[in-house]
Amino acid sequence: MTMIEGIPEDLAHVDLDEKRAILDLDASLYPVEALYGAAYVFIDRCYVFLDRPAPQKLRIVVTPKSLEGGEAQLRQVVGELANELVSAAWRHQITQENRARIEAVTMQAISGAMGPPSLDDLEDFDFTDEAFEDPLGIAMSWEEKYAKKSDPAEETAAKGEEE
Amino acid sequence: MQLLDLRGQLDRTSQAFFRFRRLGPERTLITNAEGRWLILSDADFAAYATGAVVEGSELYRRLSDGNFLRATWDEAKARDMIAARKQFLGYGPNLHVMVVTLRCNETCVYCHASRADMDATHTDMTPEIAEKAVDLAFMSTSPSITIEFQGGEPLVRYDLVKHIIEYAKAKNETAGKTVEFTMVSNLSLMDDEKLDYLLEHKVQMCTSIDGPKDLHDKQRILPTLSAYDAASSWIEKINRAYVDRGLDPSLYHVEALVTTTKGALGRAEEIVDTYAALGCRALFLRPIDPFGFASKTAKMVEYPRADYLRFYAEATDYILELNRQGTQMIERYAAIFLTKILRGEDPNFLDLRSPAGAGISMLAYSYDGDVYTCDEGRMLAAQGDQTFRIGNVFESSYRDLVGHPTVRAMVIASNLDSQPDCVDCTYNPYCGIQTTHNHKTQGSIFGRMRESNVCAVHKGIQDYLFGKLADGEPHVLEAFERWTTVRAREHFLHDGAGSADGDP
Amino acid sequence: MRELRFHRELYRGECVDSAIQVYAAYAEITTEEDETHWIVRIAASSPARERRIGDEMANYALGLTVREGKP
Repeated sequence: MTMIEGIPEDLAHVDLDEKRAILDLDASLYPVEALYGAAYVFIDRCYVFLDRPAPQKLRIVVTPKSLEGGEAQLRQVVGELANELVSAAWRHQITQENRARIEAVTMQAISGAMGPPSLDDLEDFDFTDEAFEDPLGIAMSWEEKYAKKSDPAEETAAKGEEE
Repeated sequence: MQLLDLRGQLDRTSQAFFRFRRLGPERTLITNAEGRWLILSDADFAAYATGAVVEGSELYRRLSDGNFLRATWDEAKARDMIAARKQFLGYGPNLHVMVVTLRCNETCVYCHASRADMDATHTDMTPEIAEKAVDLAFMSTSPSITIEFQGGEPLVRYDLVKHIIEYAKAKNETAGKTVEFTMVSNLSLMDDEKLDYLLEHKVQMCTSIDGPKDLHDKQRILPTLSAYDAASSWIEKINRAYVDRGLDPSLYHVEALVTTTKGALGRAEEIVDTYAALGCRALFLRPIDPFGFASKTAKMVEYPRADYLRFYAEATDYILELNRQGTQMIERYAAIFLTKILRGEDPNFLDLRSPAGAGISMLAYSYDGDVYTCDEGRMLAAQGDQTFRIGNVFESSYRDLVGHPTVRAMVIASNLDSQPDCVDCTYNPYCGIQTTHNHKTQGSIFGRMRESNVCAVHKGIQDYLFGKLADGEPHVLEAFERWTTVRAREHFLHDGAGSADGDP
Repeated sequence: MRELRFHRELYRGECVDSAIQVYAAYAEITTEEDETHWIVRIAASSPARERRIGDEMANYALGLTVREGKP
């Protein structure tokens, strides 16, 4: 294990034998969403593995897919990843704070561009795709909801078929 | 820069929402959510920040007029201005880029991915694809659409350009939209017959002039003649043709773009003089972008953004000086920002607004029928990155395209209210980010603005402009006023059903 | 033999399962779980191959988890 100049070893170090860098983060500073956001940015050029070595710690193990630049490249990856983590953590916070404004603008932008659906669009729309729970039976017809129970024998047969 | 030490004195109750940026000694810029702004002296800013502004004072009046005080904050005033700035949100794609071929007769140092050799006929768009693309463009919810011919070199497929114009105009007989045509061309394949047709059909022409002849010809190579001579002779001829048709040359002229490479830095005045001599009234001093070339080329043409900003200031200072001497020229980047800053309007430049226009205000149709959120998206695709491909003209409906998850993600990512740094930036009301640039340079469409070249350029240009506004030199303010006066180029508009626009 | 330990608070179990299915053709993969982790063991013809398959599988599981949202 080699420490990275300027970064305390308990925060980040490189493992040159395994050609990887390891960052340990304080979980109270970085929400898991930020960890995902930052890690995802790197999966095109690195292999990324997440762990939680202790309840208040998050760990990112990052292995460049091609390590031509040796230790300097690992150091560069750690620096970029650390920046991306800060950015993702802050973005997560901003998105929550400005959620209503962001949603309103996005909705207006997309609906303004799409316009109302035509009859052809509605005809093609696949309503079966959106499965949802309906505990109150709102989507059921009155016949389905209030129909008398059918013959118990028939019910059993139907259940058997399902099974 | 000397800092103001206001620790322990700050008041948090008297100000309405504001952001601030120190521009220099005795100059602190404040802006609010709706984009009103003031430049305050150190004493005034200290009084504002500490809640010591005396009611009835001149400063109180300025702050109140600008909607910066909680006591007099006018919600309707803020709401109306924000709505005016976001007017573009109500409509779908206005700009439809049609890549009629990738073939190009010029070889440019900064353009590899978006061109093909002249024998690569397989990179030509077919008439069927072109018609499908026009059909999709006409489905836009926007009442006006611009069809922009691009390449490659679009004049290589002049026949297809004609076909698209005629198909679109016929279609517009029933669609009733306002249609514009523009063509981005190096002009070297132009001839009198083509020019007559393009002028008759009111096609706006846009070309590239990278600077004086030696620089232009070094960066843009034509096999048998000087690329500069080819472009400049046609620019002069086209501009003369506009005058002959009785059109105001300050409004109707060939638009030309500068691609600022390393070779252009240090030659700001020569570049401006070249444009002035050609009768070009507008320059767009764009920094080089990373989309068209391979990374090995970057070393040859790229440069630190601080160098670009020095070049930008030098060139724009010189343009302002020419204006003072009576030669009317504008710098487009400045005009876009200043229209937002001084007029409270958004000129709808798609890369400089929040959210950006990719997918919701523009679509790019590649020669093979694939559709992208923007032109940069199809350039990345040419390098093997299909991130911004959102469909194909034969497979996708209009609503599939503009409602595509990639478009939605780009809308969210380019909303400055969702971006670290931008959310607190004083320039938030006037700025915009490019998700394709973020993706290409930083690996995610969100990017990290503090490390972004685009952010550095946007901040630097706005620092320059607000510095000029703070200086308040009359000839500069007068030029800025002129640069932000938007005059519609009505000659280029084709109206559809029920109108009499006198088209041939 | 290479062992990957996917933390249950960070990776969705079904995403780890999907990743295993994708790479099952390239190695002998066995699974186990404890209170905190999904444990995946990979045996292939060489340590380099085990490592590559493990790395690719980890990225795959992470990508799916990010898409689905945290467990």
